[in-house]
Amino acid sequence: MINEFAQFVKKGCESLKLILKYLKRYKKLFLINVISAFGFVLVELGIPTIIADMIDVGVQNADTNYLIQMGLIMATISVIGVSMTILLGYCCANISTAITRDIRNDIFAHAQTFTAYEFNQFGISSMITRTNNDAFQIQMFVNVLLRTALMTPIMFIASFFMTAKASLPLSGIIAATIPLIILGVVFVAKISQPISEKQQSLLDRLNRISRENLSGIRVIRAFDNDAYEQQRFDETNEQFTSQSKKLFKIMMMTSPIFFMLMNVAGLCIYWVASLLIQNGQLSLGQLVAFMDYLFHAMFSIMLFCTVFMMYPRAAVSAKRIREVLDTKPLIRNEGSMSGNEQDGTITFDHVTFVYPDGEEPVLKDVSFTAKKGETIAFIGSTGSGKSTLVNLIPRFYDVSEGAIRINGVDIRDYDVMDLRSRLGVIPQKAFLFHGTIADNIRFGKPDATREEIEHAAKVAQAYSFIMEKEHGFDEEITESATNISGGQKQRLSIARALVRKPEIYIFDDSFSALDFKTDATLRNELKKETKNSIVIVVAQRISTIMDADQIIVLNEGNVIGHGTHKELLKNCQIYREIALSQLSEEELAHE
Amino acid sequence: MNKKLTSITKTISGIRPFIAPYKWQFIGAIVMVILSVVAMVLAPSVEGMITTQLADDITLAESLGRLQIQFDAIIKIIVILALIYLVKTLSQVFAITWLTNAIQHAMRDLRNALQNKIRRLPVRYFDNHPFGDVLSRITNDVDAISNALQQSFVNVVSGILTITLALIMMIRISPLMALIAFMIIPLSLLITIFIVTRSQKRFQAQQDALGALNGAITEMYTGYNEILLFNKQEDSIEKFKKLNEHLRSNACKAQFISSTIGPLNSLVTYLTIGTVAVVGTFQILAGNISVGNLQAFVRYIWQVNDPLSQISSLSSQIQAAFAAMERVMEILNEEEEIAELDPPKHIENMKGNVSFKHVRFGYGETDLIKDLNIEVKSGQMVAIVGPTGAGKTTLINLLLRFYDVRGGSICIDGVDIRDMKRGELRDMFGMVLQDTWLFSGSIYDNIRYGRLNARKDEIIAVAKMANVHHFIRTLPDGYHSLVNEEANNISQGEKQLLTIARAILKDPKILILDEATSSVDTRLEKMIQEAMHRVMEGRTSFVIAHRLSTIRNADLILVMNHGDIIEQGTHEELLAKKGFYEKLYNSQFADAE
Repeated sequence: MINEFAQFVKKGCESLKLILKYLKRYKKLFLINVISAFGFVLVELGIPTIIADMIDVGVQNADTNYLIQMGLIMATISVIGVSMTILLGYCCANISTAITRDIRNDIFAHAQTFTAYEFNQFGISSMITRTNNDAFQIQMFVNVLLRTALMTPIMFIASFFMTAKASLPLSGIIAATIPLIILGVVFVAKISQPISEKQQSLLDRLNRISRENLSGIRVIRAFDNDAYEQQRFDETNEQFTSQSKKLFKIMMMTSPIFFMLMNVAGLCIYWVASLLIQNGQLSLGQLVAFMDYLFHAMFSIMLFCTVFMMYPRAAVSAKRIREVLDTKPLIRNEGSMSGNEQDGTITFDHVTFVYPDGEEPVLKDVSFTAKKGETIAFIGSTGSGKSTLVNLIPRFYDVSEGAIRINGVDIRDYDVMDLRSRLGVIPQKAFLFHGTIADNIRFGKPDATREEIEHAAKVAQAYSFIMEKEHGFDEEITESATNISGGQKQRLSIARALVRKPEIYIFDDSFSALDFKTDATLRNELKKETKNSIVIVVAQRISTIMDADQIIVLNEGNVIGHGTHKELLKNCQIYREIALSQLSEEELAHE
Repeated sequence: MNKKLTSITKTISGIRPFIAPYKWQFIGAIVMVILSVVAMVLAPSVEGMITTQLADDITLAESLGRLQIQFDAIIKIIVILALIYLVKTLSQVFAITWLTNAIQHAMRDLRNALQNKIRRLPVRYFDNHPFGDVLSRITNDVDAISNALQQSFVNVVSGILTITLALIMMIRISPLMALIAFMIIPLSLLITIFIVTRSQKRFQAQQDALGALNGAITEMYTGYNEILLFNKQEDSIEKFKKLNEHLRSNACKAQFISSTIGPLNSLVTYLTIGTVAVVGTFQILAGNISVGNLQAFVRYIWQVNDPLSQISSLSSQIQAAFAAMERVMEILNEEEEIAELDPPKHIENMKGNVSFKHVRFGYGETDLIKDLNIEVKSGQMVAIVGPTGAGKTTLINLLLRFYDVRGGSICIDGVDIRDMKRGELRDMFGMVLQDTWLFSGSIYDNIRYGRLNARKDEIIAVAKMANVHHFIRTLPDGYHSLVNEEANNISQGEKQLLTIARAILKDPKILILDEATSSVDTRLEKMIQEAMHRVMEGRTSFVIAHRLSTIRNADLILVMNHGDIIEQGTHEELLAKKGFYEKLYNSQFADAE
């Protein structure tokens, strides 16, 4: 039990530590907060004392002047006390929202150091909940902490002091109940914590299903699978409801049961008090005063309980936030090179790569070199490792063995920002941001002029469709880019990379959403644009890559062919098969 | 104010149907709350009986000369008191149990109703509303309502009761002083209304800021790859910080303004107590009331104040819940898809003839398609070609009735698709869309999605047909491997294969292949196309085509540009026409030369 208690306190401290870390930044406000908490106690305990004085002194002596005077003092105390309470509210609002803002900023900034691996570990929607909802839970908790948790101990100590003054032996009974209450609270927190965690993860799942139901609206309807989706949702909804029921019942039962305890203690006090009076150790007046203060002490403890009611939820949230903040990104930016030396090469030197939690290497001993002005293409079946290979260049993952060098320098020795600024990557699935078309192209180069943007759009074969839009380059792209097609997205994504004029272009299967005509014209235009760069192309279509300077055929992570189109047709069986499946004999002969 | 009130009553009446099924539990809970409040108010006077008994004994002792406490009488009172406490606690336990059950069930129903609603809303709604906002309404907002109901309901009900009982007790003591004390209520009400109207605006602003932040988070987390690649970390942190600060300042204001309700109401209470104390002591001097009466009276004023301040401290949560309820109701009141014809027309022995007759359609105000006429015979293959972004998905939207035509009609076997049940219509189609959609679940479940009652061997058979069986077998858990949340543990090509398998499993009468093969591995592509050809056999199919072979073999080619179909015919007919298609066709050899 003691052990468990220690563990519980330790766990509790860990989540409080998170809050304290941020609270430290607002020492002054916090100090004012603490001071103004006394305002509440001043009024709550001051008014009964004044009334007692009015009765004892004023009424006894029939002194009307004294009564009016005390009435005015009471009014003054009220105004001061209320002003301090309002100040308390001001501090609470400021501190709690500031802490939440800081936590959110830190989570978001930390997430910016993540790459695919970390995002996959958490999942995008869980990252969103952690940044948003979990931080909000902390805000709620800090609010209660700053208000109730500060005010009530002061109240409790003050009223306990009063009870001790009234009767020491009786206050012993109250003192005896305190450890009982603490144990009770610990017990409640202990059993509600796992339920709270479970409820939270079910909520995550519920939200994920909602999310999928929204994003897959067309597919779900096309398959007419509403009933299935409803069932999937129902099951989780049902589980979530049952956990919520459990959690809320435990949380809400705490206060009645606690009051029951206090009431039983009260009955004991009456009994013991009767005995004491019988023995002449206690006066009736003392008993009455004692019960009055007891009421205040009880009330403050009950308020304090709300802190514990909120605690499990906040603890879960704090844990989830800490998980994000404590995640050390796989990719460390330890290099500092940002040199200008440009011998214009990229080299894969015996590169082997295993995914962090994988067993089998995805790439095995891959080596090649490409020079400025060259185009190097990768082709191979699904799962051959082509996309993985290009993901290594911007350091989304680090190689397991071997090295990748750009301009003769290991990419891990570059400052990672500098490394990425040398690249123009067009990913398989283009993602565009909320904003105008021009903004999205400018994403590649923030200081791009209008001419540069238009030029990039022209090369990317995007100019004509942009001009057809009502507002041209200033057309807003809606959230999740529903007002443009997949192919248009691809072309904007290409323009975005073009405008950077990078040293190395990486086209990761970027032409797949384009029709043949656009694909062909685009590649012709690109050729002129990329003379001073290295172009790396991952493709499915032979026609896209057949005039590349080097073609590497990958199969299950191994290089099984390396050469030009003509060479490979002759000496690479798999390449020939691919080519034959796409091009007719006459087209092949055409070469 | 009036407008506000009507909107609040409207919101409440919107939520009523969800509470109605659990009204007996609610009523039971309220009865229990009443019982516990009565017990609570009764307890002090019974406690007083002990004091009275003790006092009597002491007075008696003066005449007797020795003190003898009547312990048996005291034990009797203590037992009664214990019973009252027991009743109080038990009624609270029952109230909490029933209430929690009722509220959580009502919220479960609300979530279900929202999901149902989502299924009945036209696709247009989702195309026109930001994804993040809709998601936030069906998740965060429901959560806010649930929390507020759960935490505030008991407090509000028992608060109102306690206040009423306390007021009755006050009148019994002194009507004059009660009149003064009554001032608390209208004054508190005025203060609360004054502040709530101000904080409501802030809460709205806070909610809007939260929505904006949520949208930005969603976008920037989803596009993290791009942010890394283009070194936009600093920029996005800046952007985030700005939105975050905006949220903070609004949240802070909302919180602070609403936090003043409690203290200001307390001030009213304190001043009332002060006045009552002065008036009361004068009354005592005049001999109208006793000291004990005054003490009791002050106790009752506190009893009015405590629930009032408790309710007002919950007011921000209640306000937020109202805002959330409004947003939820907005979705629930959204116009649904046009009702289906009753009784719907039904196609017996479906053949799969599809015809477009004078179809007119557009998304915005202008029509994209002005007068489209197509005749597709059963079993024919239609290829749709055209530059990217020519609006090929529009055809799918129309065929599957994601959108309705503006003029003319689309008929299958002579039956207007608007006269059929939507489910039946969509059941006829098998579709592989450009954006593959897998849900987080096992691969097995994802394929089975095509036909939920499919047997295991059927699923393996279609996986083999779609050439994805081998790939699945190489995964650590085979068919039971899980597709993760972002479905990025499976490559684009493999995803496409899975959706193809899914479409094959459905065994539809009409197929729609939307660039289905574009990112599938080239070696597999040939085999897939063979499989597809087998599937297309005897089925009408619409193929958004990039492959020449597909186009050449098509029975009908539809050439699209700028959202409209500008040419149609067979490959030879269209070449002979020397129009747009001819140019399109010839241009693709440009790079081969």
